[in-house]
Amino acid sequence: MSERPQAEAKPDPRLSLDTWAVLVALFATALIRLGIISRVPW
Amino acid sequence: MAAAIALTQDPPISISTKFLRLLPGIALLFAIGFAGKLLEKNINAYAKGHHWAFPNIEYVLWAILIGLVISNVFGLAEIFKPGVATYEFWLKAGIVLLGSRFLLGDVWKLGGVSLLLVVIEITGSLAFMTFLGRAFGLRPKLTTLLAVGSAVCGVSAIIATKGAIDADEEDSSFAIAAILALGAIALFTFPLIGHALHLSDHAYGIWSGLAVDNTAEAAAAGALYSDAAAKLAILTKTTRNALIGFVVLGYAIHWARKGQAHAVGNKATFLWQKFPKFVLGFLLISLLATVGFFTKDQNTALANLSRWAFLLTFAGVGLRTNVREMRKQGLRPFVVGFIGEIAIALFTLVLVIVTGHFYGF
Repeated sequence: MSERPQAEAKPDPRLSLDTWAVLVALFATALIRLGIISRVPW
Repeated sequence: MAAAIALTQDPPISISTKFLRLLPGIALLFAIGFAGKLLEKNINAYAKGHHWAFPNIEYVLWAILIGLVISNVFGLAEIFKPGVATYEFWLKAGIVLLGSRFLLGDVWKLGGVSLLLVVIEITGSLAFMTFLGRAFGLRPKLTTLLAVGSAVCGVSAIIATKGAIDADEEDSSFAIAAILALGAIALFTFPLIGHALHLSDHAYGIWSGLAVDNTAEAAAAGALYSDAAAKLAILTKTTRNALIGFVVLGYAIHWARKGQAHAVGNKATFLWQKFPKFVLGFLLISLLATVGFFTKDQNTALANLSRWAFLLTFAGVGLRTNVREMRKQGLRPFVVGFIGEIAIALFTLVLVIVTGHFYGF
């Protein structure tokens, strides 16, 4: 079988699920740290 | 021709519409998780009030069971599917927030032990699954996907590897179905085995993180045992996830050399693309907690927020487990996966028990 061309897929410019999860978690952390959310009941 | 293609394409969907489409499913995840919490509280209180010897069933199990019943008895309506698929997003956000419950020193110490065990587990699992796949005559790329799925991190690893080795849809569907089915079995059997062997929270947590394939199932299997076990299971599983790039890169190079996949360009870029970014988020929050950036109340709030995120994840684990869909995928990949998983579970159990003797857990 012939060698396939080096066709690296272009990176997707959109943010990945991972990155979104980190950003949302950091945003929530900032809200808690700044006292905007003072308590999270469980 | 281009016009004809354009006519058949779906119109672009705005971000607000995409977001609105997620809401019913997210509401369902929340309703199931909350129902699990209510059931745990009320059934335990009722049993106690009536002096019944009723086992303490945690909200985790209730949430998974309710999800399983909805998915397999009633079926999941289309309107809920986009939102239910966000369960993995909640899992990753929950892991980042869980960083507040680990001091960096603990991560270093526990992560160091976990890393050693993870490297042994990944090497042994890849070798054994490859051997089994060959012995059962599975297609080579399906064998690769099953090996990566069971050695590293379940569905995410299979999807990452599929793109890197140019595997076809059928092989990845087979591998994903087998890994999901085996994850569901592990979820219910691991806590029973752990209790039967009187494993400590520490030993059980590491074992779950090493042997259960999907991160969601590993977290749930840990949480079904104890809160402390869940923390250890997630830490160990996160260490496993962090190595995904190296394993996928190895297979990508292997298949490219055979001329059956596209060649890998810049290896550092490849590793960064495959690296799970939530691991960095987890380490950042852990670092902030270590340097005293949060007050005690803020730490509690972060830990509780993490619990809510996991609650949505556990509801999603039940909802996406559809037995009929799994049965459609055929028996052979499942049998290979099943034998492999039992061997990996036994191997890692011995590994954890032996290591526990040296490290005192």
